[in-house]
This record gives sequence, C-alpha cells and structure tokens, in this order.
Amino acid sequence: MSKFKFPSIKETNDLSNLRKEVRNFITKSLNHKEFEPSADAWVFSASPEFSKKLGSMGWLGMSFPKKYGGNERTALERYVVTEELLASGAPVAAHWIADRQSGSQILRYGNEEQKKSIIPKITAGECFFAIGMSEPDSGSDLASVKTKATKIENGWKLEGRKIWSTGAHIANYMIVLVRTNPASEKNRHEGLSQFLVDLSLPNVSVKGIPDMTGQRHFNETLFDNVILSEDALLGVEGKGWSQVVGELALERSGPERFLSHFTLLESFINEFKNILIKSGSKLIGKLIAELQTLRRMSFSIAAMLQNGESPETQAAFVKELGNKFEKTMVETLREFSNIIPLYEWPSQLQNLFEDATLRIPSNSLRGGTTEIMKGIIARQLGLR
Amino acid sequence: MNEELSIILETTSKILNKHVDHKLRQNIDNDNSDLINLWGEIVQLGLPKIAVKDKFNGSGLPLSTTLPIIKLSNNIGAPIPLSETILSNYILSESDINPPSDIITYAIDAKNLKIIGDKISGELISVPYLNLTDKIVFITEIEKIKKVILIENSGEDKELKKNFLSEPRYNLKLNKCKILEMKPINSRINFKHLGAIVRSAQMIGSMEKILDLCIDYCSQRKQFGRALSKFQAIQHQISEMAVELSASSAALSTITNSGDFYKNKKDIAILKIRAGAAAGKVIAISHQVHGAIGFTQEYELAYFTRNLNSWRNDFGNESYWEDLLGKDFLENNNQNLWEYLT
Repeated sequence: MSKFKFPSIKETNDLSNLRKEVRNFITKSLNHKEFEPSADAWVFSASPEFSKKLGSMGWLGMSFPKKYGGNERTALERYVVTEELLASGAPVAAHWIADRQSGSQILRYGNEEQKKSIIPKITAGECFFAIGMSEPDSGSDLASVKTKATKIENGWKLEGRKIWSTGAHIANYMIVLVRTNPASEKNRHEGLSQFLVDLSLPNVSVKGIPDMTGQRHFNETLFDNVILSEDALLGVEGKGWSQVVGELALERSGPERFLSHFTLLESFINEFKNILIKSGSKLIGKLIAELQTLRRMSFSIAAMLQNGESPETQAAFVKELGNKFEKTMVETLREFSNIIPLYEWPSQLQNLFEDATLRIPSNSLRGGTTEIMKGIIARQLGLR
Repeated sequence: MNEELSIILETTSKILNKHVDHKLRQNIDNDNSDLINLWGEIVQLGLPKIAVKDKFNGSGLPLSTTLPIIKLSNNIGAPIPLSETILSNYILSESDINPPSDIITYAIDAKNLKIIGDKISGELISVPYLNLTDKIVFITEIEKIKKVILIENSGEDKELKKNFLSEPRYNLKLNKCKILEMKPINSRINFKHLGAIVRSAQMIGSMEKILDLCIDYCSQRKQFGRALSKFQAIQHQISEMAVELSASSAALSTITNSGDFYKNKKDIAILKIRAGAAAGKVIAISHQVHGAIGFTQEYELAYFTRNLNSWRNDFGNESYWEDLLGKDFLENNNQNLWEYLT
C-alpha cells in the first residue's frame, strides 16, 4: 500500500524565495506585455522567445547536470518554477515537453554525444521536443505501435507515422517509439525501441490537424523511409517499453494536471469576489480544498523523483484526480452563470471560460485516458 | 520519537488483532469480559493517557503522534472509545485538570445548560460509548469564557440516540448533576478542530480496511465464470476508491507532519472536507461491489460504513468546512487565490 502514500513535504524558505523570484519575473513580463495569460498554456501557448528567456534565467533543465549546461537544482525547485508559470498562464508550450520529459529521458538513456549536443540547448530554451508515442491505429494500446526501424548499413531506416504530436511543427526533435523487432507471442512489450529523431531530416513531414477549437497544436508526423544514423537509437534496442513507461511517470504527475485552467478560476474570483462572499463561499471552499490537496500530492511526487524513485502509480492518482478537479471547476463556474449571466462577464473572462469549456474533454485523454489511469491503479491493487 | 511510535503501533496492533473480531463488535456491553480484557491491555500500554502531561502521569506525547494509533485502531475496527478517551484526557490535561485513568468520553454538543453552585442541569448531545463509562467531558461558554467541565453521570436520563453509527451514542438529560471539575479551557484548544482531525483519521483508517475488504471479496467471488475483480467495471470502481483514499491520506499527512496544528484552520478544513467527501464515495462503491452480503450484519463491511456515515457528520460536515474555508479566503484578506494557496 506504500504506493498510495504521499508523504507531506514542507516548502522551505529557499523554495519560497525562488517562488517570489519567479513571480516577480512574471509580473514584469506581464507589465511589459510580453504575454497574454491563456488557458491550457502548456499545450497551446508557445513562445520560443519566452522559452529562451526562461532558459537564460536558469529555469529550464533545472535538475540537469552542470556538465551538460544544466543547473543542478532539485526536482522540488523545478516544481515551484513550473507551478508559478502554470498559475500565471505563461506561454510555456514551446519548451514544455523537452523540459518535462525528453531531456530527462536523454540524460537517463542517451549516449555521451546525444547528451552533449542536445541537453545544453534544451536548458537554454533553444531546442524543443514533441512526443512520438500515439499512432493512427495505436492510442491507449501503446504496445501496438507499427512504426518500425530497420537496421541498415551504418544506421536505421524509419518508416511509419505518429499522430497527435503536439507542437511537432515547432519542435526540433521527437523521441519516437518504434518496433525494431516483432512482438513475441508471450510478451508484446518486447521488440520496442526509442529513437531520437531530428525532425529536419529529409523525408520527415509534419502536417497540422486543427483541433475542435480550431487551433493548431496537433500534428501528424510522417516518416517516409527516413535514414537515421546509428546513434539515433536512444537507450537500448528492444528496451523501449520500460523506457517509455518511465517517461510517462514524468508526464503524468506534474501540476499541469490541475493548473491548466487556473487563470480562469483566479480571474473569475477576482471579478466576482463581492458576490461570492455572499453566496459562493462554499463552492470556492470546496475547490480550494481539492486544489490544495492536489498540490501537495504532486509536490510529494516531485520529492519522490528527487529521491530517484519511480512513482508511476502515484502519478496516475494525481492525473486522475487533477482531471476530475478541472472538470468540476469549470462546471462550478458554469452554474454560477445562473446568478450573473455569461454575457455580462467581462469579455476576457468569457473567452477563458469558453476556451476551458471546449478544451476540458482533452484533459482526461492526453497523457493517458481515465480508463488507462484506473487500469494502472487496479493493477497495483492486485485486481488484474 | 519515530522509533517510540513504531513500537507503540506494533504493540497496539498485536493487542487489537488478538482481541478484535466481528463478534466483539456486535456485543459492546460493559459486562462483556472480552471487551474488558481488551481495554485492560490498552490501559496497561498507557494509550488513554498517551497525550496527557507528565505531571498527570501521562506519556506527554503530542496529539499529532496519536493519529496513527487512532487510525490503526479503526482500521482493525476495534469497538472501543479509544479516540474519545485520548482526546478527552488531552483536553483535560491541557486545561490543567487531572484526567481520570479509565474510559472517558465527551459530548459533541450541549444545550440549555444551567449551573447552580457545583451542580449542572441541561442536555448533552451525542455522547459516544456512554454505556462503557460514566465520565463525560464537554465544553461550554459561561460568561463569555469557554470552560471544560468534567462530570460523572449517575443514573441520569440517558437515551440511546438513533444514529448511523455501529458504535453506541447517547443523548443525556442532566438534572443537577455534580460537577467534578470545571476550568477555563486552554486557549489553544478548539474542540471542534481537534474533533475534526481525529474523526478524519478514524475515517481514513476505516476506508483503508474497506478497500481491503473490497479487493478480497471481489477477488474471491465468482460470477459469470470469473472473479468479479476481472471485470473492468469493477476494477474501475475500486480504483476510484483508492484515488479518494490517497487524497484523504495526503491531507492527513499534512496535518500529522505539521506538529503544532492549533493555528492550522485551513489544513484542518481541507482534511475534513477531503475525508468526508471520500467517505461518501467509499460507502457507495464498497456496497455496490459487495452486493447483498455487504448489507448484512453478519458480514463486517457495514460495521465500517456505518461509522463513516456518522463520523463525516461529526464536528462539521463538508459543507460546514467548505463554507468556512471559502470565507477564510474571500473575506479575510486581500490576497488573490494563488497567493492564498502558496
């Protein structure tokens, strides 16, 4: 049952000071109109300039070794920085995936050359990544991927397509999960490998897929017999499954799982505080309780990552609960429009609300569906 | 301290596991020798006075230390007033009253109290386990001073209160009952806050047990030719219970580790809200996956779910604390939400 424990971690003074530092930086950026706060900013709102600025502040690749241009700070420090950025709706989408998972994945499994050439650029906010997991015929059932890499002289030939690759149109690299060998009858997880693919290579094409809100972040990425050098292999041939599972733990436990629409909640409260005092304190109290619990759970996971643990199950808890919280939050605000009709809300708040309403269904799909999260938990409970 | 606590926990666990079974839970009378033996060992271990000051012959451990013990007791489903006794004795000791050494309980509420000389009349509401003890602590305001009062109930009108609880609970009419002790309460102590914390720990202990019961039952019970646990619909329901439980445990560990939680109204509110909400879901799901057997007295699930139903309402239900927390943020400061949270 220890998989379900979330030890309480206190925020030290150093962390609180870092928080203030980031907050001041954001306030300045807002005052200089460097960005407009937006909902779901880590998916939709990309600004390579802003990412570069964060890099120069030392707030990307925070825990990476100095040897590779990193900052050797703790996972808890990184947590504080990402929380502040998310809460303000800052445009962090460009570097998000590189900073959250791809960099760590390269540091863990990559060879010296890969580390030396890529990690410093991630840390500087100059190198962006996309995720190469889902395919047209492989969504939740990730082990069924068909994209394959075949060994050729001095390298590999990559063939297949990846889909829903958020940000691939501005990314430099994609970590691609492929079959290097057919699955064995007993174990479908065998024969998978990860490749580090430079998206500027010949025969790679990235095609946008507008999402239901009309915005572009999704892509389909086609690999039409792309020739890769030998050292494009990331980690060990045939060990792609265990590698990708570790990557998913990094992907699921962070504060973006419950702070994607925080700017909406904050603006809503600032706008209607006087009315809420009279008739909404219970609703707001309920949201505060859930949000604060989620922050603690996620912070606790950051400490586990710091200790070198692999909190895959705990990550599933945070993702599941966080997705639910955001849905409840938007629904709570919707019910409030009974008191003040939506058309009387300030237009910026209306926009945030409508954006959130439309985007909410994707929360419990991306990074693993509710069904997959519950399946992971059920397995840990011994039910599967 | 940690080592001391883990020894106490281990010993408590041994004692409870030796004595507690479902038969005992169904016979909580003061002449049940099994119950008397169990309580005797609890006293020998020093648990009733674990958070009582040294000068009153207690162990002097902070109240937060007792939460894992209380949680354990309700995980095993011990039908004894352990949390009531620990909390009552703590409040007495902190208010400089020497606590009695055996079972003691409290009244969650009191009304129409009148004091004349050293006698008190009025009504005490929701007194757990009054069948096992006649010593009651309660708190009331007299001339704008909050006071702790200790009485001994001697053949007053007591009425078994209909309650969700598996455990007995009473209302009591006092008619010129003798006051044993009355002192101003230690100003740090807020009975409702402490009660909310303790009840939450009890709920979490019980929910852990309920989760285990569901896993065991669904793994053994076969329908349509396979174990219930192999049905995805069942797996997902049980996973949801685990999610609720993990969130409640996280809220509890914040309180347990905060040491001095007297000023921590926010985190207490969060804990009671989270545990109370989880209890609602856990009750519904656990009964759903158990089917009719869970609805019987013979099977132990209902012992735990009935307690949850009651405890989530004690010391303020979710609505009470949500309102309080919402007001704390909306009314008392000029911070925006993010500043308030961080």
